[in-house]
Amino acid sequence: MSDDVYKADQKILETAQVDSLQSLKQLQDDFYQAIFHPDKETIRQASTYIVGTDTLTQADRLTIYRDSILGGITAGLTGIYPVCVKLVGEKYFTHMVAGYLKEYPSGSPDLGQYGEYLSAYIAQFKPAKELVYLSDVAKLEWAWHQAFNAPDEDALSVDMTSLESEAKLTFKPVSEIKPISELEHIAEESFPDIIFKVVSSASLICSEYPVHHIWQVNQSDYEGDQSVSLDEGHARLIIWRSADYGMRIDELNENEYQFIEGLFEGKTFSYIAELAYPQALGEILQRCIQMGLIQGFSV
Amino acid sequence: MNELKFKRQSIAGAGLGLRSSHYQEVFNTKPDVPWFELLSDNYMAEGGLPILRAEKIREDYPVTLHGVGMSLGAADPLNMDYLARLKALVNRLEPVYVSDHLAWVSTSAHYTHDLLPFPYTAFTLKHVSDRINQAQDFLGRELLVENPSSYLDFHATEMSEWEFIQGICKSTDCNLLIDINNIYVSAMNHGFDPYEYLNAIPADRVKEIHLAGYEKMEHYLFDTHGYQVHPPVWALYQAAIKRFGAIPTLIEWDTDIPDFTTLRAEALKAETIMKEVA
Repeated sequence: MSDDVYKADQKILETAQVDSLQSLKQLQDDFYQAIFHPDKETIRQASTYIVGTDTLTQADRLTIYRDSILGGITAGLTGIYPVCVKLVGEKYFTHMVAGYLKEYPSGSPDLGQYGEYLSAYIAQFKPAKELVYLSDVAKLEWAWHQAFNAPDEDALSVDMTSLESEAKLTFKPVSEIKPISELEHIAEESFPDIIFKVVSSASLICSEYPVHHIWQVNQSDYEGDQSVSLDEGHARLIIWRSADYGMRIDELNENEYQFIEGLFEGKTFSYIAELAYPQALGEILQRCIQMGLIQGFSV
Repeated sequence: MNELKFKRQSIAGAGLGLRSSHYQEVFNTKPDVPWFELLSDNYMAEGGLPILRAEKIREDYPVTLHGVGMSLGAADPLNMDYLARLKALVNRLEPVYVSDHLAWVSTSAHYTHDLLPFPYTAFTLKHVSDRINQAQDFLGRELLVENPSSYLDFHATEMSEWEFIQGICKSTDCNLLIDINNIYVSAMNHGFDPYEYLNAIPADRVKEIHLAGYEKMEHYLFDTHGYQVHPPVWALYQAAIKRFGAIPTLIEWDTDIPDFTTLRAEALKAETIMKEVA
């Protein structure tokens, strides 16, 4: 584009008014593109709306907002992924976040809900190829973040069926779920039909790498040998929040992992019992109940 | 109206923004702070410790809820899920005020998590007024709307920010949260007189004031909330208190958050001005 055409084009846009929803939307979409997908064209397009001065051009002004936005989101993700930041360094992490933002825009006003797919992004992020464990560490940190913020077992829930002026705020009791203490009153013939309920904050993670150990040595209060050998092998973990708001990461053996995975899928006790378990099923169930991982059941 | 759970339902004096690094000290020492402002967006999760702590603090202090997610200036429809969550939070914490900004944070359902400016035009005045009315109707209560700090002007702008705020006050019954630091930062960035701005604000609508520290960059001021309040902002605050009266004032400090004593000292400076000037 010649300079003359560019100037003429800019002149038209400078006189364009924001006098309709469509023109406001266009301005905001163009601004968004220049922030999250900055290139010559998107910056030129957004610049046409903006008044420049001798000391700060239109592009400079966009950069102020871009830095502020990326800084805010990176700070939010640093809060969720502190171990990943420690493993790769702040500069590397910031660079990764800028790429992540392009592929995974934020869909919620709650910054605490942003970052779910960082582990998936890291898994295909070529510069991090050597850090084979990083994606699974991210998975662990997201699970921790989710558990920390999970609804309480009898949380106040928002009924979104009504979008009218009266928001109906109702307690939704989890009616069919019985507390685990009532298990002794269940007739033995009903046992195969029981579905045990794992606490809603819990997530399972299975990794080829010792991600729990990596996570542990990178905690700020960790004292001791920082080295971790990848030869330590795989980790099967459950990350969850106990009834007294304590955060937990528990290591599971293969049977326990398979058992809880079945529960997560809503399988009945009889279905789970048919899977092959070298270990006694009763023992596994007992450990889960003792830990507080299973607090209720339905028949 | 439902019966209220908490005793303290009004605020006065200089409050502080409650940040997670201060929870323990607030629980342990019950400091002499007249009220706390909580960032609503940090308590949107349905459960867990943050909301439990907020409820605990609410037992001892009046609180206000301040948010950045409403996106009042966006072309996108209002996010009703966000408003429903906010309403649930309001029911739990019974804040004295609920506030958000004259800004947009989302477009085409993509969120930027930052307060972005829009041109002040006849259309956006009507658009934003309608949204304020819609949000207030949904929440069943008044909002305080805050002036943002800005770093750019639009060719399309047809009026000054204070004229826009006057327009909002005519077409809605919302009240105002006036950020003195933001007025100063925008005035320096755009070359207008901050006192002219201040004098144009409808005084009877101002219910809360924010103060914070900016950062001086090479060619502009940036609203970092990471410093003590600067002298010219204190001077403007004096004029504000003289004009509006001893309006409840909050010290905002969000980056490089200092210890509680430093924060409290800033709040006491504001209280001294309130006593001397109002």
